Amino acid sequence: MIGTGIKRGTAELAVLSVLGDGPLHGYEMARRIEQQTRGALRFTLASLYPLLYRMEKRGCVRGAWETSSAGRRRRCYRITPQGKKELSPIRKEWADLFRALQLLAEAPHA
Amino acid sequence: MHDWQELVRRQLDGLALEPHERADVIEELAAHLDELYEDLRNQGLTEEDAERRALSEVTNWPAFRRRIQMARRKENRMTNRVTQLWLPCLLTFALTMAILALIQVVGPAPRIFMVRGRPNMVPTGTIYIPWLLSLPLVGAIGAFLSHRAGGTRLAIFFSTVFPVVPYLIFFGVAGPLVLIFADHDGRNFVLALLAEGLIPWVVLPGSALLAGGLTVHFFSKGGRVIAAL
Repeated sequence: MIGTGIKRGTAELAVLSVLGDGPLHGYEMARRIEQQTRGALRFTLASLYPLLYRMEKRGCVRGAWETSSAGRRRRCYRITPQGKKELSPIRKEWADLFRALQLLAEAPHA
Repeated sequence: MHDWQELVRRQLDGLALEPHERADVIEELAAHLDELYEDLRNQGLTEEDAERRALSEVTNWPAFRRRIQMARRKENRMTNRVTQLWLPCLLTFALTMAILALIQVVGPAPRIFMVRGRPNMVPTGTIYIPWLLSLPLVGAIGAFLSHRAGGTRLAIFFSTVFPVVPYLIFFGVAGPLVLIFADHDGRNFVLALLAEGLIPWVVLPGSALLAGGLTVHFFSKGGRVIAAL
């Protein structure tokens, strides 16, 4: 079972990663994460927004209302310099963890 | 056409944020549900199925409301437990004691009256009853503060009835101690006193406080809690 701390870390990494490609609104962000992880990570309304608001409070992302060409108002999120600064160590940490798990999985069992 | 804003507003009733911030959250969440619903419809789902799927995004609205509230709140020096439980508890307890003291100081002087031929010094009519009548308001304040801070039902309940908890603990501890250490006559005497104290100091005030708390609970369901206080 994946612990809460790891889950939270995964979620933040996912959000910061997709926002690294450009600003997105909440629904598009959830869809993009689901598509890019081939359904392995799925955000619902209940899981996405508290996380986004927390990250916004911490200064990792910034939300602003925008009106689309169809006249739809949406709150778009952008990664901030602070978020970019946090993204690289999180990426490295996860890459290290996966490498370590891979080594463990490949190790010959007694 | 679904009114997602109305649905989200109803479900997040009691979300304690600044009005403009609350409106922003409601609009944003409603927009998310609206887009999801449209996507599902475009995938060929019926209106009912699409609506059901969209609504399944949140299985526990009160918990969701609390999480949003915690996430959106400005940095707070106090922890949630302090604002949701300890502060309302302390305030209701202090108010209860202050009102009792105030009635004793500025209220009408208690009279000594005879009960079954014995002088009775208990100032029931002049102190106790006015105090009891003030308790629903105190209970309502405790429940309101805990509710506004996003407290759970249990936290709201304890914030409401906290002023009688020390008495309950006293009777709960004193009762068994008396049973263990006192002799037969002393035991009967003290137990009778404890039983008499339990009703006026725990049961009646607790009920009065709870009546106030339940009123807030009732009003908060209709989103009128702030207007009511």
